[in-house]
Amino acid sequence: MKNLKNLDKMTNEGVDNCSVEERRHFLKMGLTVTGVFAGGTILSAVSSVNKVYASTSGFVEKYPYKPHYSMIMHIENCIDCEKCKSACAETNGVPSYGFRTNILERQVAGALDQQREFIPVLCNHCNLAQCTRVCPTKATYKDPNNGIVMMNIEKCIGCLSCQLGCPYNARYFNEEKWAVDKCTFCWESRLSKGAKTTGCSEACPAGVRIFGDLSNPSDRVYKEVHQMTKTVWVLRPQAGTKPNVFYTRG
Amino acid sequence: MTQRAETAGLTLNAMESMLVDRLKSGSNAYYFALLVTGLMMLAGAIAGLQATVGGHHVYYGVSRQIPWGILISTYVYFAITSTGICLVSSIGHIFGVKAYMPIAKRAVFLSIITLSAGFLVIAAEIKVPIRMLVYNIISPNFTSNIWWMGALYGLALGVMIFEFIFLLLGKYKLAVACGFVAVVGELAANSNLAGVFGLLNGREFWHGPYLPIFFIASGVMVGCSCLILFHLWAERINEGPLHPGMPDCLSAIRKVAILMICVIAFFTIWRTVATLAGHPDGQYVGVMAMLTGEYSLSFWGGEILLSLLIPLGLYLFSKGTNMKLMLTAAILMLIGVFFMRHNMVIVGQVIPVFQGLGVTGSTELLKYSPTVHELMIVVGGFGFVGFMFLLGEKIFNGYPVEDHH
Amino acid sequence: MRLILTTILCSSIFLLAGAATTLAEGDYPEDIYYMKPVIGVVFSHQLHVEDNGMDCDSCHDGIFEMEARLAENEESFTMAGLADGEFCGACHDGDTAYDANTRCTTCHVGVIGYSRAHGLVNEEGPAHH
Ligand code: HEC
Ligand code: HEC
Ligand code: HEC
Repeated sequence: MKNLKNLDKMTNEGVDNCSVEERRHFLKMGLTVTGVFAGGTILSAVSSVNKVYASTSGFVEKYPYKPHYSMIMHIENCIDCEKCKSACAETNGVPSYGFRTNILERQVAGALDQQREFIPVLCNHCNLAQCTRVCPTKATYKDPNNGIVMMNIEKCIGCLSCQLGCPYNARYFNEEKWAVDKCTFCWESRLSKGAKTTGCSEACPAGVRIFGDLSNPSDRVYKEVHQMTKTVWVLRPQAGTKPNVFYTRG
Repeated sequence: MTQRAETAGLTLNAMESMLVDRLKSGSNAYYFALLVTGLMMLAGAIAGLQATVGGHHVYYGVSRQIPWGILISTYVYFAITSTGICLVSSIGHIFGVKAYMPIAKRAVFLSIITLSAGFLVIAAEIKVPIRMLVYNIISPNFTSNIWWMGALYGLALGVMIFEFIFLLLGKYKLAVACGFVAVVGELAANSNLAGVFGLLNGREFWHGPYLPIFFIASGVMVGCSCLILFHLWAERINEGPLHPGMPDCLSAIRKVAILMICVIAFFTIWRTVATLAGHPDGQYVGVMAMLTGEYSLSFWGGEILLSLLIPLGLYLFSKGTNMKLMLTAAILMLIGVFFMRHNMVIVGQVIPVFQGLGVTGSTELLKYSPTVHELMIVVGGFGFVGFMFLLGEKIFNGYPVEDHH
Repeated sequence: MRLILTTILCSSIFLLAGAATTLAEGDYPEDIYYMKPVIGVVFSHQLHVEDNGMDCDSCHDGIFEMEARLAENEESFTMAGLADGEFCGACHDGDTAYDANTRCTTCHVGVIGYSRAHGLVNEEGPAHH
């Protein structure tokens, strides 16, 4: 009780009274948390100055691919117009009963500003992908160069364990191909033909889906992931798959 | 004792007429049972073919988020049962405990046919079985539990067939060697089957190291009941006691069954308590769905009463001598465990993967109900086991027991 | 996707016809869902008139016609247009009402919101496939 009373009397110290060291320390803590959120791969995230870490050995190992394809979602801009979904379907021949990317809706009835938000989801091209681990025939595998989780449909036996292994519901069985189908960051349809971005990213009218290369310090995705003024997170970090699709607001 | 000499000296023609004689020796009830199980098999085969040709998405109730339906749970049921039978029979046959010896041949045969039934059922669930045969061999993925499970169960099946042949031929040393390999193979395959579910971090309901132990313990539990059921049934077919040592043997098996029921009950209680205590994400809803929700009937009725409590009571009361009570216990458990497997497979999938995110629609559990085609294939699997068992009784002449070792 | 679009289009035509016939005196029409350039922007008369006490003239005197989805035909019926003070942007400029460039999902309910409002089954629901 006494403590509580004292608490009432206390005034906010304000940021100005806080020493530089204290602030640094605090920010570092925040960073660690972000790192954990991001699947543990970007513990070394720094504010926009990134030379410090570019020279550290071990950093490269954290982004094992070159280019290390990745996407960051500015979800506060997502309006569920689903132009990304149509573009994806058109680009990659996705049938109407399936999807490679999807928009989820989260409603919060009591929220004061807005009461819903939309969350685009697609294959996270995880560094520790479970789908590729459980596939009995290596029909799905991580591309050794760019880290994209690919499908070799010739080898797919349709046991569907990859669908269960995936924590993001990113896979479905394509009845026409007789194989599981999934997002490949438009590798076959676009990237391999020289395009610089995915179909969904190009179609998005609100700048939600930013596609890029996490191994390139001058890339926008790299810069947005390696900063600390805005929180960056990943979905279902506890699944432990070290995903490569990031989320942020603002 | 004389069978071996007989077979060795027989011409093909004489063997044929001997088999025909044996098959003709059945009672009316025997032929009726043969007909019923045969029809069950036929129904399953028709449904399986139709679904494979016409497309699983048309005939099965599975969906994107619940890709594994009752066919997988039936496969799990048969595969674990096979492991259980193999393990229980190995106590006598491989490790030389006298009381368990009379069941050896029939047990090996049962283990073979239950596993085959499992393979037949899962063949109807794999979407492109032809690619499976090719690429499992030329493009194996050694980190995949499902690959190991398939390879090891395949190996075990092959080895058990050899074991059975050696038993028939009286080559006991070879049979024991094969039997040992089969036990190891079945154990490893079984725990990889558990790994198929238990190692998926993204599916919290299954995730964890306890599944492999649970699978083996519950396998032994159903294996016991399966052996009791089929031996008592075989006594009927052969119209008389099978072997002077059989009652003692079944009573010994009963003891193992009781022990295993307790182990499984213990597991079930602690899984439930652990979930209620901590509300772990993704597990709590699943367990609650079984305790009080949509799956409560199949949990309390199937998993608790039919497979654990009632058989426990009946096995205890039977004192190992009342065969009627033991038979009832065995049948009820075999029914109940079917629900146990189904709950395990389905409840693990009905929890939407994005539930923790609180997105629209993710707060409810997803729905799965088997279609007629799926059910017919399941029935076909059971028909196969029954049919093969009945045939086996006659073809192998009630598995006359010889003492070996 | 094409299927969804056609269903959406068809049902919005029905909605149009329905709203026009059900209008009575002093009454205002049901929620209007815009489909172009993007699907799923909702405008609610109830919210503006009843909850915020505006009169008809504040909008129907130059900003909007009294015909649902007529604005869709205008080039400037985009976020850029709104930012220039056209249509909803006349008020949603951060002054009269909150800025159209904020709180996107208050106006945009998306394909999901549209489908729900019109009883169309959402693909990712608990149903099959
Ligand atoms: C905040 C602005 C606003 C106010 C206030 C407002 N309206 Fe509207 N009204 C609109 C908009 C926007 C439309 C659609 C125009 C378009 O799509 O081009 C519309 C359309 C209509 C339509 C045509 C509906 C249809 O289905 O075709 C009618 C009728 C109408 N309004 C009546 C009223 C009446 C009556 C009031 C006063 C009680 C009122 N409005 C107040 C904005 C407003
Ligand atoms: C005549 C002025 C005016 C026009 C034109 C107008 N609005 Fe509004 N609107 C308001 C006011 C005032 C409010 C309530 C105050 C606030 O929330 O800032 C409001 C609130 C809203 C809200 C509710 C937000 C919440 O808090 O849930 C929505 C949605 C909305 N408007 C959509 C639209 C759309 C879409 C259009 C164009 C089709 C439009 N409005 C045109 C004045 C207007
Ligand atoms: C006051 C309501 C309102 C708000 C708030 C709003 N919009 Fe819009 N938006 C509209 C209307 C009206 C249209 C045109 C009708 C349509 O496309 O259906 C539109 C169209 C669009 C379009 C397609 C046309 C274009 O400009 O390219 C995009 C993209 C868009 N909005 C994005 C956003 C984003 C991102 C936000 C949040 C930063 C947002 N909107 C907030 C009302 C709103």
